[in-house]
Amino acid sequence: MVSLLHEIDTEHEDMVHHAALDFYGLLLATCSSDGSVKIFHSRKNNKALAELKGHQGPVWRVAWAHPKFGSILASCSYDRKVIIWKSTTPRDWTKLYEYSNHDSSVNSVDFAPPEYGLVLACASSDGSISILSCNTEYGSWDAKKIPNAHTIGVNAISWCPAQAPDPAFDQRATSRNTAVKRIVSGGCDNFVRIWREDNDRWVEEQRFEAHSDWVRDVAWSPSIGLPRSQIATASQDRHVIIWSSNADLTQWTSTVLHTFDDAVWTVSWSTTGNILAVSGGDNNVSLWKENIEGQWIRINYESGTAIQAKQPSHHPQIQPHPAHSSDSEHSSNLSNSNLSNSQLST
Amino acid sequence: MPPTETLRAGGGSEREQTYIIRQSNKCYEHRDSQATAMSVDYTGQWVLLAGRGHFALQRLGQDDGTLRRHERQSKYEVSVAEFAVCPSSKEYCAIATSQHIDIVRWGPAEPFYENSLRGHTRTVTDIDWHGKNPNLLVSCSIDTFSHIWDLREPRKPALSLNAVCMSGATQVGFNRVSGNLLAAAHDGDLRIWDIRKGSCPTHYITAHLNRVHGINWSHRRETCLATASQDGTVKYFDVCNPRRAEKIITTLSPVWRARYTPIGNGLVSIVVPHLGRGENSLLLWSNSKQTDPICSFVGHTDVILDFAWRPNRENFSEIELVTWSRDRTLRVWKIDDTMLKLCEPSADEDEETRYDDVPDLPATTPPEYLCPLPPRNGSLQAPTILQPDLYPRVAASLPIATGDMSALPLARSPTTPHYSFPRKDDLHIARSLTDQPTCSLHHEFSLLNTNMPHVEVDILDAIKRYACFKIYAGGHTVVLQVTFPTSYPSPNVTPDFQLCQGTTLSSDVIAILLKVLRTNSLQRVKKSRTCLEQCLRALVVAMKKSISSGGGGSGADKCQLHLQSPRLDGALSSALHDACIPFPRTSGVHFNAVGMLTTFAQVLNSKRLTLRHHQAYTPRTLSAINGSGLLGNVMGPQPVLYPQRDANASLYLQERMITGKPGKNRAMQKAAGSSPSTPVVHIYDASRLLHLNRQMAIELSLDKQDIAQTCRQNGEVCAKYERYDLVPIWLLAELIATPHVPDENKYELLFYKDPFKKYLLESLIMHYATAGDVQTAVLLACLFDKCPSGLDSLDKDSLLNYPGKLPPQLTSQLSPYHTVVPLDFKSSAQVRSVSGTWQQLKQLRSNSWSDSLDWVDVKLFQADAYACSLIRRTKMPLFDQFKRVYADVLFCWQLLSKRALILKHTLYTPPPAQGVEFVTECTGCAKPKRTPKCEPCKRPVLYCTLCCLPVTGEANACLACGHGGHIQHMLQWFENHNVCATGCGCQCLQRTSELLEHIY
Repeated sequence: MVSLLHEIDTEHEDMVHHAALDFYGLLLATCSSDGSVKIFHSRKNNKALAELKGHQGPVWRVAWAHPKFGSILASCSYDRKVIIWKSTTPRDWTKLYEYSNHDSSVNSVDFAPPEYGLVLACASSDGSISILSCNTEYGSWDAKKIPNAHTIGVNAISWCPAQAPDPAFDQRATSRNTAVKRIVSGGCDNFVRIWREDNDRWVEEQRFEAHSDWVRDVAWSPSIGLPRSQIATASQDRHVIIWSSNADLTQWTSTVLHTFDDAVWTVSWSTTGNILAVSGGDNNVSLWKENIEGQWIRINYESGTAIQAKQPSHHPQIQPHPAHSSDSEHSSNLSNSNLSNSQLST
Repeated sequence: MPPTETLRAGGGSEREQTYIIRQSNKCYEHRDSQATAMSVDYTGQWVLLAGRGHFALQRLGQDDGTLRRHERQSKYEVSVAEFAVCPSSKEYCAIATSQHIDIVRWGPAEPFYENSLRGHTRTVTDIDWHGKNPNLLVSCSIDTFSHIWDLREPRKPALSLNAVCMSGATQVGFNRVSGNLLAAAHDGDLRIWDIRKGSCPTHYITAHLNRVHGINWSHRRETCLATASQDGTVKYFDVCNPRRAEKIITTLSPVWRARYTPIGNGLVSIVVPHLGRGENSLLLWSNSKQTDPICSFVGHTDVILDFAWRPNRENFSEIELVTWSRDRTLRVWKIDDTMLKLCEPSADEDEETRYDDVPDLPATTPPEYLCPLPPRNGSLQAPTILQPDLYPRVAASLPIATGDMSALPLARSPTTPHYSFPRKDDLHIARSLTDQPTCSLHHEFSLLNTNMPHVEVDILDAIKRYACFKIYAGGHTVVLQVTFPTSYPSPNVTPDFQLCQGTTLSSDVIAILLKVLRTNSLQRVKKSRTCLEQCLRALVVAMKKSISSGGGGSGADKCQLHLQSPRLDGALSSALHDACIPFPRTSGVHFNAVGMLTTFAQVLNSKRLTLRHHQAYTPRTLSAINGSGLLGNVMGPQPVLYPQRDANASLYLQERMITGKPGKNRAMQKAAGSSPSTPVVHIYDASRLLHLNRQMAIELSLDKQDIAQTCRQNGEVCAKYERYDLVPIWLLAELIATPHVPDENKYELLFYKDPFKKYLLESLIMHYATAGDVQTAVLLACLFDKCPSGLDSLDKDSLLNYPGKLPPQLTSQLSPYHTVVPLDFKSSAQVRSVSGTWQQLKQLRSNSWSDSLDWVDVKLFQADAYACSLIRRTKMPLFDQFKRVYADVLFCWQLLSKRALILKHTLYTPPPAQGVEFVTECTGCAKPKRTPKCEPCKRPVLYCTLCCLPVTGEANACLACGHGGHIQHMLQWFENHNVCATGCGCQCLQRTSELLEHIY
């Protein structure tokens, strides 16, 4: 089900911290502790198309903007800067904007849904969150800050997908322009918080307290229009927790996806919002899917079938059915360290 | 070496002489011992001296001076050794070396290593045993954690107290009375935890301006503790009132330890002289008198490393003090009854001061104040124990902290007469009113952070009630003088701020700054709080802001990389700063919009990292990478705890990546199989997991000529791409599309009203949408969707119908993707005139490609559209949302025409762009028209003002007077004119631009 398309030797001089494909899946951006961001062609295993130098410390994360704004990439770094890059051709990149108003390392960046315009949220170790919005007409940037969002530091940030219009009869009354902007953030105070924009101010709407250690990543699942919302949070405490809510985002319930062997670092949702990819300190990548009974199962990347049932210890009331595991002999991790090409390429 | 038992009694009483000088009762010299830690066991018989090379036990009762030595091999110093304090585990001791804690049981001959407690990632700095539970001990470390260990489960800490702060823990101590509270020192701050609630500290105490070297809980009052600090003070705190110290002992040199005497009312401190010069004093203080020590113990010639109480298990009224010094002598000092008595507050003093000074008591009194706990050794101090802490409390309010004795009379005399002594019941109310000004000012000064960035403290004078500061920010200097009125900080009495000579700012900026100061101080003072530090910080911020906004010179400043966060300015290195930055990811995974997965994973370079490998998980903070942070010379004036992190060094990757030439090595590596440390990114196609298939998207058909046939085709496509699970679904769809009544084409509305088909189709779509298979859901929704136009066109009626096929089809030769499903001729003919529909249909069709349906017109036809669709109207918005998501995926696949085809089926397009729209009004029926011709009136709606012909193409008009016409003509006219061509006198160009300005 999952086939290896390409293996790209980034030739970074130090550890790679994030890699992201653009919307079309054509360009790959990687960032590394060597302070550079590199752009690759995803279909050819060539040398880097471009190397973006501008950071003076390890670059933690990159994010692509929606292509309707052009080819725009944001990167954040230990050097407290956020740089937004723009390209005319894949080889030709220029700094569009540099934001250096954080007092500590910027750990995560995420672009807002394109409906809100070119808006970027940044999470920093100084405890604050910055929302940078671009006036595309004049090319000017405006920064808003949520100070003291998380004590000690904010580690991760993610945007709520733009709200779908309510399925009411009068479709014109619910204008999409008034959709409320929301972001979810996770930080060193072990909390996950949801922030809502309220008259040009960002207010805390919800606070989730379930992790017992630093929250390392948060991801709001993309919406296909169904009246539900899901947030995945990964933490140093080795748990990934799925928070789900109905459309009004007031009542949230949590399910522990799994207790991993090591700290969990990254969670990423698929476009359809039903598959979650998780990676962590043990360098393993696993894919998870919610089955029709609401259980989270780990899926085999070759056949797409379940290889491991969710741990039965959590929330026994949620899973009335016994976990059914199959194909356990196929259970192998999507681990890069022991991944060979022959195993995956089809 | 025989001990020199020389007791030199100081004098008759403490009133004649300042303090007693006493020499040790016994002295054992161990020249070859390099012990760095010392502990006395429960019985008081054994002293443990632990060093890098060996452990040694000294028996105190026998004066042979020999040691029981046990060699050990370790390259690390012993940072702390503690004997258990419970009788049941008296032969146990905990010895901390580097990050580990060894639990050693002293058998008759040999020490047995019972356990090794591993959990800290940095040097363990202190250990304390629980006073009641022999299995519990707490350890704290530079890694900022305090772990509570249960020896019955030694593999991991029973409880980890996470200080979430940037400075490591240096001292930790269990409460002696209840054992539930625990204090940990982080730099100058204390965190008080309740071990029954380990998630966050119950209290934070900003205790000292500099590092805290010693914490000791009171033996009799649960909430009281004493701290010794590098800043040369010993402070007594009550954790119920963490805002201010109850009492302060001030010395000239850093204080290394301060411990309460286990019996009596005293406290012993070790003072470490600066730079090794001066007296290595070991002083006994009375808890009620902070000005002078009771007794000084002399004899050690070098720094005293530690001391311990040697309990006398027979005679509870006598205790001995055991000290170990860097001069390698172990000395024992007897503290006898007379000395302990001197520590007690004298009864008469107690009487008089109580009445004088109770109103002056600062802040809250702990509950113990009103009902003192019974003392442990009640027989000893029976007469005075009733209010043992009343007098000391009074003393605490005196401004001894600065050692400025002249402050004494001022502090007490002028204010106290104003208040009569309230009854105890009123004490609570009285206290808030009588918060004594001088003392609080004094206290405010003592708590003021003198290391504030940009601020230099010149003068702090609590007596004359003023302070001077120099503030440097943004290249300017401000000299600020603050004068405090006597009633400060009672409500609405703010200090006076004045900017003095030397200020390098213009007067208007000064006015702004003064305003900032005033508003800030007022805010604080309103609640009777002190305001100085807040004002200074606000001033710095305001200065930076006003100066950077004023001049453009801040650009260069901004570019500079500030490696130190403002919070961390000062002695702390950037390594500390890293403690709040998460550990870098070595692996990651990311989905893009079309289900392509990027993953990477690298193996950390273990050689260059000093990560502990037996550790269960990856560390969480970046600071774990910075070499091993061994506790350095903490006794020096500027302790350096951590080596500086070299930010440029590549810390993680194998040497190969740094030194080798990548090209060559890669070839070798390929031969040997991929090395895990290469920064390689893998790109996977996971779209099939998401049930998205680009090839299927291309081949799946939406041809509505014969829906049943299309369903059959789509089923075949699914089979071709191995989606066998979808084959029956398309079969089902084919059945839905097939009419059951033979003549159903004649009763088309009947077909669309079939409830079974409707609900079957809906549940199919919903199932696939919830299961994440958007592709299938959207295709089903589109295929059975009817376009909102819902109108048959005139010419189509003349075309042949296909009997037996549903719906009766229009064969659109114009567009292969024609989706306008016509109505039966009869029904449409009944509704409206033929020519009118044709006109509107034409317009609709041209618009549907550009996402901007004309709502006004569409509304007219929606009723029909819903009536002849298998999909219920309520579900349409939701399904449209699915379609839009799928369209986005098609967009990413760059299947643009497929995307447009899907979007044609959506009803709920985003509202059109807001702006000025040009609507003409028919002169006949006075209805707004968007078409060039009014259908009912059969006349053109707009005539050009220049050529007087009807306008059918591009048109423009003045927004003010409404005159206009062909755009070409208008352009020509206004090239040379600026008034309207009709002669109405309107300044068209000007007026229009004015109106537009209002709108935007």
